[in-house]
Amino acid sequence: MSITEAEAAQLAFERPSGLWRDAFERFVRNPAALVGVVLVLVFVLAAIFAPAVAPYEPREQVGVLARNPAGPGDGHIMGLDEQGRDQFSRIVFGLRLSLLVGVVSVLVGLSFGLVFGALAGYLGGRIDFALMRLMDLMLSIPGFLLAIGIVTLLGPGLFQIMFAVGLVQVPTFARLLRGSILGQKEGDYVLAARSVGVPGRRLLLVHILPNSIAPVIVQATLAMATAIIEVAALSFVGLGPQDPGLPELGKMLADNANRLQQSAHLVFFPGLAIVISTLGINLIGDGLREAIDPKLRT
Amino acid sequence: MLGYVLRRLLLLIPILFGLSLIVFLFVRALPGGPGIALLGERATAQDLQEIEENLGLDEPLPVQYGRYLKNLATGDLGTSVSTRRPVSEELSRRFPATFELAIAAMIFAIGLGIPLGYIAAKRYQGVLDNASLVMSLIGVSIPVFFLALLLKYVFAVKLGWLPSIGRINILIDLDHPTNFYVLDSILTANWEGLTDSLKHLILPAIALGTIPLAIIARITRAATLDVLSEDYVRTARAKGLDPSIIGRRHVLKNAMLPVVTVIGLQTGLLLTGAILTETVFAWPGLGTLILNAIRFRDYAVLQGGILFFAVLFVLMNLLVDISYAFLNPRIRYR
Amino acid sequence: MALLSVRDLEVKFKTRRATVHAVRGISFDLDAGQTLGIVGESGCGKSVSSLAMLGILAKNGRVAGGEVLFDGQDLLKLSDARLRAIRGKDVAMIFQDPMTSLNPVLKIGRQLTEVLTKHMAMDKDAAEKEAAELLGRVGIPRAADRLGDYPHQFSGGMRQRVMIAMAIACHPKVLIADEPTTALDVTIQAQILDLLKRLVEEERMGLILITHDLGVVAGICERTNVMYAGRFVETAPTPELFSRPRHPYTLGLLKSVPRLDAVRKEKLDPIGGVPPELTYVVPGCSFAPRCAYATDKSREVTPELRAIDTEGHLVACWNPVPDADLPSTPGPPAQPDDRWAAR
Repeated sequence: MSITEAEAAQLAFERPSGLWRDAFERFVRNPAALVGVVLVLVFVLAAIFAPAVAPYEPREQVGVLARNPAGPGDGHIMGLDEQGRDQFSRIVFGLRLSLLVGVVSVLVGLSFGLVFGALAGYLGGRIDFALMRLMDLMLSIPGFLLAIGIVTLLGPGLFQIMFAVGLVQVPTFARLLRGSILGQKEGDYVLAARSVGVPGRRLLLVHILPNSIAPVIVQATLAMATAIIEVAALSFVGLGPQDPGLPELGKMLADNANRLQQSAHLVFFPGLAIVISTLGINLIGDGLREAIDPKLRT
Repeated sequence: MLGYVLRRLLLLIPILFGLSLIVFLFVRALPGGPGIALLGERATAQDLQEIEENLGLDEPLPVQYGRYLKNLATGDLGTSVSTRRPVSEELSRRFPATFELAIAAMIFAIGLGIPLGYIAAKRYQGVLDNASLVMSLIGVSIPVFFLALLLKYVFAVKLGWLPSIGRINILIDLDHPTNFYVLDSILTANWEGLTDSLKHLILPAIALGTIPLAIIARITRAATLDVLSEDYVRTARAKGLDPSIIGRRHVLKNAMLPVVTVIGLQTGLLLTGAILTETVFAWPGLGTLILNAIRFRDYAVLQGGILFFAVLFVLMNLLVDISYAFLNPRIRYR
Repeated sequence: MALLSVRDLEVKFKTRRATVHAVRGISFDLDAGQTLGIVGESGCGKSVSSLAMLGILAKNGRVAGGEVLFDGQDLLKLSDARLRAIRGKDVAMIFQDPMTSLNPVLKIGRQLTEVLTKHMAMDKDAAEKEAAELLGRVGIPRAADRLGDYPHQFSGGMRQRVMIAMAIACHPKVLIADEPTTALDVTIQAQILDLLKRLVEEERMGLILITHDLGVVAGICERTNVMYAGRFVETAPTPELFSRPRHPYTLGLLKSVPRLDAVRKEKLDPIGGVPPELTYVVPGCSFAPRCAYATDKSREVTPELRAIDTEGHLVACWNPVPDADLPSTPGPPAQPDDRWAAR
C-alpha cells in the first residue's frame, strides 16, 4: 500500500468517527431523548428479568374465574383477568414479547432491505430498476393490508406476524439505503479513494456504508415502534398467536374489547403498556434523528 | 400541467397490472388451493370441479391470469362464501360507510392539524408549541384500536354523550339514495337523521383521525418553521406587506408543499386504520367486511377487498400527486 | 438636511450562550442622489444595521440604541404598522441571493403587483400594466409576457433585476442594496451595477450599497464607509479611500485584492488572524490584535473617528497608516471592461 493510499483510507475513516462523537454529544444533551432512554431501559430490564419482576406466572390462575374480574387492588396492582390471572404479571411478560417482536421484525426488514438497497444503489442499471419497481409494487399496497395478506398465506401465529411485519418494512429500508448510497457514491472522498485504486468491494464496505448507515439507524429505531404497534394490531384482528394463554398485548386488548363496561382495567393497562413502550422508542428515534442532523426541526 | 397529469395516469397502468398480478398469485397460493379457498370448506365435489373449470386450473398460469383479468374487467370478483352474494356487491354496499368515515376523519385531521402546526410554529417554543410536540409524540405512539377503545369508554360508556356503535339509531327511518348517511339526511331533509348520523360519526372519526392529525400538525409545524427562515419571507417583510398576506401568500403556500405529500401518505394509514376502528364501533364498512372475511376464511371477499383497497390507495396517491403539482410550479413546468 | 440620518445605531442579538453586540454605534448621512458604500467582511454587522433600520431583524435581535431619522421621523420609534407603510414604499431593500429571495410558488407579476396594490392603491389592471413597465425598465425583454412566469424560469441576473424592479416600484427615496452582486457572475455584476447607477440618477434615490467587494464600491459609490467588528473604522470619498487608505484594516483589504495592473509575481497579502467574536465588548481598537501598527494605546483606548487628510475623510485609529506605506499604485482597482457593460 502506497503512502497516498494509506492516507486516503485514513481520511475517509476520519469522517465517520468525528460525526459519531458529535452526534453522541448532541443526543445526550437532548432531554426528551434521555427520557426515552430511561423508559426503554426500564422496559428492557423488566423484560429481561421478567420472572423476577412479575409476582405471578402469566398463565397461572391465582383468582377465581369471573365474569366481572376484579380491578386493581388487593395485592394485584393491575387487577385480574377473567381467567383469574394476575394482569400485572401478564403485562410484564407481554412487554417482553413485544420488545422481542419489535427487534425481530426490524431485523427481518433490515436484512432484506439493506441487501436490496445496497445492491440497487451500488450496482445501478437494470438491477436497480427491477428492484425498485418491486419495492414500488410492495409500497402500493397499504402496509397493514400487505401484512394481512402475508399472514393469510402463512397461517396465523406469532412468528408469522413478526415475519410479515418485517417484510412490510423492506421497501422503506431498501429505498433509504439506496438513496444514501447514491448520494455518497458521488462524494469527493469516494472519488479520491477510487483515484488511488481502492477496489470496489472495499470501497463499499469500508467507505460508503459507514456514512450511509446513519439514517438507517434512525429509521430502524422508529420502525421498531411501528412494528410493535403493527404486531399488536394483527393480534387484535385475530391473526396473531393462537395460544389463548400467551400474554400478547394486542391479543389482550382484543379479548377484552367487549368488556369495556365491566372491566375497563383489562383494556386500559395493556394499551397503556404499548403506548409507553412505543413512546420511549419514538423518543429515542427522534433524539437520534436530531443528533445526526441537527438542522432538522421536526 | 396536463402533460404531467397524463404522464402520471400512464404510470398508473403498470401499477394496476402489478396489483392484479399480486392478488392473482395470492389467491393461487392460499392454503388448500384456490378452489377450496374461494368456495369454502363445505364445497361439494361438484362445486369444486365447476370452479376449477371456471378458473382453468389445469391451464398454464398466464392463461389463468388472462381469464382473471377478463373477470376483473367485467367486475366479477367472485362470490362470497359467507353470504353467497357477489363480492363486488358486498364491496359496493359497504364502501360508502367507510368512505364517509374516512372523509370525516380527514376533515378532522386536516382542519385541526394544519392550523395547530402553523400556530405552533409561529409561537415557536411557546406553550402551544411544546404542547403540540407532546401531543404529536403520543399520537404516533398509540395504536388506533386502543385510542378507539379509550374514546368509546370515556364518551360512550362512561359519559354516555355519544353512541357507541353503529351508524345510526335503527329506530330512525331514513331513505338512502346515496348510502352516505349524512348526505342522505341532508338530501331528504331528515333533520333527526342528520343529527343522529352525525352523532354516530363523531367518535369513530376522531379515533381514526387523531393519528393523522398528530402527524399533519407535526409536519406543518416543521415546514412552517423552515419557510419562516427563508429569504423570500424576509423580502416580503421588506416590501412592507401586511402580516396576514405574508402568512397566507408567502408562508403557508410554500409550507403546504411538504404537508400535502404527508397527507398523501396518511391516506394509507386512514384506510388501514379504518379496518381497526370499524371493529371497535361496529361500523358496517369495508373494514368489518375484511375482518369478518379473515375470521371466517372467506377468501373470495378477502382477495376482492385487498384488491379494492390497494386500487383505492393508488388512486388517492395519484390525486395527492396531482394536487402537489398544482401547488408547486416547479414540477409543472418541466 | 440629509435624506437619511443614522446616529449611534446599536444592535444586539440574544443567543442561548451570550449576547452578540453586532452593531456598536454607527453614524452616517445619506443625501438624495448620493451613493454610499459600506464595506466589510462577513459578520461585521453591515447587513444587520440595514435590517435594523427597517425593523425586520430576526426575532432574537433588538435595537439597543441610536436613532434613524428619515423624513422627520425616527424609524426606530415607529410602530410596526407605520413602518410597514414606509418599507417597500419610501425605503426599499434588495438582498444578496436572488435565487432564494423570491417566492418560488408565486408568479413574478404577482410579486410585483402586490407592492403596487399595497402602497400605491392601484387596482389590478393598473398594477399589472405598471409591473410590465417596471420589468422593461430594468432590462427584461418581453416584459408583459414574463409576468406570468415563475422565478425558477429566470436566470440569476434576471432574478436580481426583478428584485430591483420590485424595490423601485413605488419610487423609493432610499434604496438599500445588500450584496446585490455577490451571487452573480462577474459580467452580470457589471450590468446590475450599471442598472443601479442609472436608476439612482433617474429616481434621485439615495443608495446604500453594502458589499465585501472593493471592486463594486469603486465602480459606483461616491463615498465609502469601512466597517469592522460593528463599527465604522474609516469613511472617505471613494477615490480618496483608495489612494490614501489611512486605517490599517482598509490598507489590508486593498492589499489582499488581486489587481489586473499589479506587478506580476507580487504575492497577495491577506490580513492575518480572524475577526473578533462579537460577544465581547473590550476596550481598545477591535482590530488591534491583527494590526501591524498597533500600540499599547490601541489596545486600551477605543479610537473615535477623526478627520484626516482631505475634507470628509475620517479615520478611527491612533496610528494611521504613514505615507510611506500607502499603496504604490494609486486609484481604484481596474474596472471591468466597459464594452461588456453595454450588453
